[in-house]
Amino acid sequence: MSSGFARQDNQQVYVLHTYPFKETSLVVELFSRQFGRIAAVAKGARRPRAAMRGMLQAFQPLAASWSGKSELRLLHGVEWRGGMHLLHGQALICGFYLNELILRLLPREDPHEVLFEHYEAALVQLANARQLEQILRRFEKRLLQELGYALPLEHEADSALPVEANREYDYVPERGPVPRGEAQSGVQLRGKTLLDMARDDYSDALTLQQSKLLMRALISHYLGNRPLHTRQLLIDLQQL
Amino acid sequence: MQGPATLEQLIEALRCLPGVGPKSAQRMAYHLLQRDRAGARHLALSLDRALEHIRHCLKCNNFSESEICHLCASGKRNPQQLCVVEMPTDLMLLEQTQAYSGMYFVLMGRLSPLDGIGPRDIHLDRLLARAQDGEVQEVILATNYTVEGEATAHYVGELLKARNIKVSRIARGLPMGGEIEHVDIGTLAQALIERRTLN
Repeated sequence: MSSGFARQDNQQVYVLHTYPFKETSLVVELFSRQFGRIAAVAKGARRPRAAMRGMLQAFQPLAASWSGKSELRLLHGVEWRGGMHLLHGQALICGFYLNELILRLLPREDPHEVLFEHYEAALVQLANARQLEQILRRFEKRLLQELGYALPLEHEADSALPVEANREYDYVPERGPVPRGEAQSGVQLRGKTLLDMARDDYSDALTLQQSKLLMRALISHYLGNRPLHTRQLLIDLQQL
Repeated sequence: MQGPATLEQLIEALRCLPGVGPKSAQRMAYHLLQRDRAGARHLALSLDRALEHIRHCLKCNNFSESEICHLCASGKRNPQQLCVVEMPTDLMLLEQTQAYSGMYFVLMGRLSPLDGIGPRDIHLDRLLARAQDGEVQEVILATNYTVEGEATAHYVGELLKARNIKVSRIARGLPMGGEIEHVDIGTLAQALIERRTLN
């Protein structure tokens, strides 16, 4: 197993979040291509002239070196990998949302190279700041897929009959789409929404609206009852 | 070993300081009680006095002894400009530049979505009221160029623009005397992306 016990150099990473640690250090939550999500201490990174200060920002492609056996590694250094995803405004908040999803749903020390690539692609798209909702929907679907919660979209839950575009369904978490009337609960949507989602086609306004409700329900289901901070922030800001 | 209850209480109280764990708190308590009792008395009185007299200025939200702070009340500042900063230390540095003569608003923090710090925690409602006093013509956003500072600037900006207030953001790029050879790649990339036309 390629465990991260020895020293690792020049690893492709993104910073997901940082928080202060002791007087002058930072704990950095990293998403690495090869090792998945890891946490590391950046010693002295909060000193005024620390080399790492200012570098440990989310959404930037970095190369990191670390060592250590414990769950909290020791970060030796980070460098820019080149290229830059400048997220502005609403896209920036969407970026925070992606990071929160990964922090909350992805266990530590679990390699997810495919997800890393989806994440990177999503950041590039967010930096272009077009069709933000579609970027989020695609990422959410892939995140669940990579975590082993792939969504049945093209076939009915129990009978495995193909989903029909014109039919109405109730989508039940952990089961899938059930024809309307056969389930007690679930997210109400039409067959076309499911088929569009399977093809990553969100050009239809109703598909976009229904897929949002579906993903919100599914993500809440897997998160348990602690709500997402970023979603609360968006609600608060709309109320101002 | 269990010490006297009041000593334990003091140690526990000192732990409210950032970065102070049980060991440091113990060392501080012993030092104050044994080596510097006068200093300890002075510290206690200063804390007490500060708690009693220091509040937030009604206009700029900075710490102040009076309802309106010295800077806001001076009458020598340009009331048409309002500069928004995260912390009082930022305000002090901006004052040192002597390049700005307008008013300020101190958020006392920043939006931090992943830590659950939202608009309520940084007094955005008060800032909105302040910016709409009828005199302010331009709001200058001087929050940090961190992702949190950017998120804060974006939302403050959106809120104010929706109310037809002119909003600007402090510039970023190469530092004073910055040589391209020695500047960090991130700053350089930003400077390229956000280049300006010469006219």
